[in-house]
Amino acid sequence: MIQPQTHLNVADNSGARKLMCIRIIGASNRRYAYIGDIVVAVIKEAVPHMPLERSEVIRAVIVRTCKELKRSNGMIIHYNDNAAVVIDQEGNPKGTRIFGAIARELRQLNFTKIVSLAPEVL
Amino acid sequence: MLLLSFAGAGAGVPLSFSGEPGHPTICSPKPTKLFSCTCIKLLPLHHHNTSTLLNSKKLRHKDSFLSFALGKEAEDSFLSDVNEDTDEMYDELFNKYGKVVFSRKDRKPSSAEVDDDAESLSFAVEMAKVANEVKAADIKVLFVKPLVYWTRFFIIATAFSRPQIDAISSRIRDLAEEKYEKIPSGDSKPNSWTLLDFGDVVIHIFLPPQRAFYNLEEFYGNATLVDLPFENQPPFRG
Repeated sequence: MIQPQTHLNVADNSGARKLMCIRIIGASNRRYAYIGDIVVAVIKEAVPHMPLERSEVIRAVIVRTCKELKRSNGMIIHYNDNAAVVIDQEGNPKGTRIFGAIARELRQLNFTKIVSLAPEVL
Repeated sequence: MLLLSFAGAGAGVPLSFSGEPGHPTICSPKPTKLFSCTCIKLLPLHHHNTSTLLNSKKLRHKDSFLSFALGKEAEDSFLSDVNEDTDEMYDELFNKYGKVVFSRKDRKPSSAEVDDDAESLSFAVEMAKVANEVKAADIKVLFVKPLVYWTRFFIIATAFSRPQIDAISSRIRDLAEEKYEKIPSGDSKPNSWTLLDFGDVVIHIFLPPQRAFYNLEEFYGNATLVDLPFENQPPFRG
């Protein structure tokens, strides 16, 4: 359940460390974003000497949420953090590697690029 | 195909033993037995980097069915006969003590699995051929099934411009739809990293800078490379 003002960790090596969601892309008045949704976010904290800087506005895909993700087979997954992967306008990830486990729902939502860079797919 | 796969498995096993005698540690039998159980599932590909593949297998199959809970003593007693055929040993032990508690109904028999692998392999090679016809450079077909569960083959290719990426992806789409009746998901427009997802085969077409940037071959360095028929042909000179 990511909404504007939610702080997110970054699950890639793009150079951002903390994001803050400022808008959810989709419907005009959408309240929450879940795994696989694209949000507009602002970089709150960044690694020094990297292309991404603090207070830059970027797009990101949510890859982990504390809110549980339900599957039709009864499986429920929830993570310990809210995390996102920084992408560009075309949907290519800005980093080259993803950290941590990622849900397979991302593949169905056409984020196979993120899935193919991830070390572990649940 | 089947016959070859056993030849491949046979070639893989001695490789995995080669490093063992020098390390008489307790954990040494574990990767060996895991590998010998799983290698049969591998396709007839060459095993040039099986020893590196081994490490990832160890991680992936740590809590699989094959490494069921054995006591520490039992584990140690295997030390002496590591060089025996571990599959046979497991079968023997299973017949003696084991019983099936739960088996998944949707699990395919291993022969069907091998058939599926062969089918995706032929599809992947066909797609690589098409990409080669449209002059994609540096085409690599990787067998990634032992590393990730969600697909079997990766095709990585370089194109030098967006129109060329468009040409390659549309040719691949057309052929896949005509001949195999598969429709890819993924990028519909040419992109600097265009991805076509056919389920069992995932095709990545990169522009040269993106290919160097993402460096997928290195990330999947433990995957086995598939030989392509057109690779050894001399370049055409008019």
